[in-house]
Amino acid sequence: MKRILALVLSVAMLFTLAIGISGCGGNEQTPASPDSSAPAQQTSSAPADTSTPAPEVSDDPSVKVLNVWSFTDEVPRMLEKYKEIYKQRTGQDFPFEIKSTIIATTDGAYQPALDQALASGGADAPDIYCVEAAFVLKYTQGDAANYAAAYKELGIDVDRLLKESEIAQYTVDIGTRPSDGKLVGLGYQATGGAFIYRRSIAKDVWGTDDPAVIKDKIGPGWEKFFQAAEDVKNKGYAMLSSDGDLWNPVRTSAEKPWIVDGKLYIDPAREAFFDYAKRLKDNGLHNDTTAWTDSWYADMKDAGPKKVFGFFGPAWLINYVMAGNSGGSKPGEGTYGDWAICEAPVGFFWGGTWVLANKDTKIPKTVGQIIEWITLDNSETGLQYFWANGTLEGPGGTKDTVASGAVMKKSDGKLDFLAGQNMFDVFVPAGEFARGDNMTQYDETINNYFTDQVREYVNGNKTKEQAIADFKQLVADNLDVIVE
Amino acid sequence: MGPKKLKSVSYAKYGYIFSIPFVLAFLIFTAYPIFYTAVIGFTDLKGLGKTDFKFLENPLQNFEAVWKNPSFQKSLENTAIIWICNFIPQILLALLLTAWFTNQRQKLRCQGAFKVLFYMPNIITAATIAILFNTLFGYPMGPVNDLFQMLGIADGPTEFLRDKWTAKGIISFIQFWMWYGQTMIVLIAGVLGINPALFEAAEIDGATSRQVFFHITLPSLRTIMLFTLVTSLIGGMQMFDIPKLFLNGGPDSATLTVSVFIYNQAFSGSYLYNRAAAASMILFVIIAILSGILFYLLRDKDAGKLKKQMRELKKPRRQQGGQRHET
Repeated sequence: MKRILALVLSVAMLFTLAIGISGCGGNEQTPASPDSSAPAQQTSSAPADTSTPAPEVSDDPSVKVLNVWSFTDEVPRMLEKYKEIYKQRTGQDFPFEIKSTIIATTDGAYQPALDQALASGGADAPDIYCVEAAFVLKYTQGDAANYAAAYKELGIDVDRLLKESEIAQYTVDIGTRPSDGKLVGLGYQATGGAFIYRRSIAKDVWGTDDPAVIKDKIGPGWEKFFQAAEDVKNKGYAMLSSDGDLWNPVRTSAEKPWIVDGKLYIDPAREAFFDYAKRLKDNGLHNDTTAWTDSWYADMKDAGPKKVFGFFGPAWLINYVMAGNSGGSKPGEGTYGDWAICEAPVGFFWGGTWVLANKDTKIPKTVGQIIEWITLDNSETGLQYFWANGTLEGPGGTKDTVASGAVMKKSDGKLDFLAGQNMFDVFVPAGEFARGDNMTQYDETINNYFTDQVREYVNGNKTKEQAIADFKQLVADNLDVIVE
Repeated sequence: MGPKKLKSVSYAKYGYIFSIPFVLAFLIFTAYPIFYTAVIGFTDLKGLGKTDFKFLENPLQNFEAVWKNPSFQKSLENTAIIWICNFIPQILLALLLTAWFTNQRQKLRCQGAFKVLFYMPNIITAATIAILFNTLFGYPMGPVNDLFQMLGIADGPTEFLRDKWTAKGIISFIQFWMWYGQTMIVLIAGVLGINPALFEAAEIDGATSRQVFFHITLPSLRTIMLFTLVTSLIGGMQMFDIPKLFLNGGPDSATLTVSVFIYNQAFSGSYLYNRAAAASMILFVIIAILSGILFYLLRDKDAGKLKKQMRELKKPRRQQGGQRHET
């Protein structure tokens, strides 16, 4: 009996060893291959990088599934449209089954899941994956950049298309991998931000709702913004809904990123948020909500304690958040149609989605075609044209600013929600303020620690010095960053 | 004919064969990861997608870093507070309900329905509950705030989730509310396992319900209580889902538990797998020590005494016997 037991156990151990070894071997190869193969490819293609078109690539005919990972249903829905376009262009049905994995970014759930999927590879690994502005740098320039395929290696004629489509420069900067200077990710939106304000309140406070006038009332600079906030308050309104609304423009207007030379750096522009947030609360200039909570949405349809004058945001905030929460769907209902946009006191951008491809994808040709259609195609059957005009799912959809200037020039940005104002007039120049050089791959984590400490200070639980010290401690405790 | 060896059918081998799948799955999915975690605690493994590592010159460097890490210390404290605040009311309520449900005299009706109702919170996923409570305590507008103002308890809205003790309290409450049903079911099962003759005898002797509960039910439940206590302790020390999803460890790290700390080390930011592994091992040791203490405190003292007495009884007899033999 003992012999049988011993046999069973040793067989079991052999199995685990074999699996363990093969598993380890497989894992080791994934990270090793970019390091070993990328330089080789680079030396062969680097001289030709600027002149020759992208190489011919082909798909593995045995693969039938295209895996897409995203944190919203935007890109999966675009792919539904792509199937139609594919049929129009080629006369054939799209030969792949599209498998979408959608995990929301709330509570930081998306990144670990995506990281695991990329690291473990295999048939279920993402072919195309989307990353958000808050953590895009990790995937294009940071720890996870080696998983990304260069656009050029997917057969995309990057250099020509970037010029032709007039792609916003900051999206290119963010999407370029520094180790080899290759473009690995691009967005389809431009997310330069504006101040979105209520026309009726502007008329009540200053007698006009003209964006050209309001722009000079609320800016430039935060001092003028706070003066305007006092005017608004004296009429019984709140300037903003939450301090988080102010954080987005403050955050992206910083000169330097959170980490400079491996050390934590608190940019004065960001540190000033302590005082701004305190001022908002102490002077009763906002409704003291938190962004993305019910109270915040309520302020978009005047359901809060005080009517709110404005929000900071890019076009997507208007179309995907405010319009739906305005309490109406056409002018005259709720606050719909009572809004306008003007230049913000400081330039900023907020959010955006970058589309990347897995370097290990078995179907680089198809993936390349899809990515080109989403990010670089400026034709009237390209994604961005549909996106800008809101015609992705038939006429009358939501319009949005897109990365391609060429597309926006031939598109119409008039919105009923803004009482007919053409949003591209404000958002296209706002996109020029947007910058990608003040971000790090740790921004999401560090921003959470920072705003948490600011709120401790604002609520009177701590002094500012203590809050800053605790913020530094949190960063030192949880990240591999030198804190002095 | 020589003595023919009786051919006995050994059923035992089927037992071994049937257990192979489990043993395999255990070795691959449990033993190997545990071993791997234990090893990488001593290495420099960090960074996404890296699998090559080397051992540190000072093998305990990660353990020291974690042990001295203020966030880790705070997370230990938080975990202990939240677990204690959840376990004491939980066991008390579960005992009370057990006493009622198993009372021989007042046979409660609809017992099954009540048990299902009490067990219900445990069936709902943690994510749902975390979001539910987050919404309930919304600020400046939320159901609880509205209720407080309507009843005149508060003049204006309160930011409940900014207050550290409220946040801790709510998490303790959620844990309590999710698990008292489970504890109650286990305790009821324990009571049903007690010899009914004991209860009958007590009844005949005229014991009150209270006396029966304190002098028969409770002492007989000791092993079940130990089981509940130890499993709850292990679960409580590893508490992750609710603190993570409810406030993500906030406000100001007030609900940061050890598991959330480990998760943050490993997955949110710098991918410090080595430090996370070291923290996991520290947590493992702490749980092992605490469980050991509990086993010691709740050991069957009577049985121990009995054993001792038996031994003492045997000893002198043997000596006496020896003496007798001499004489």
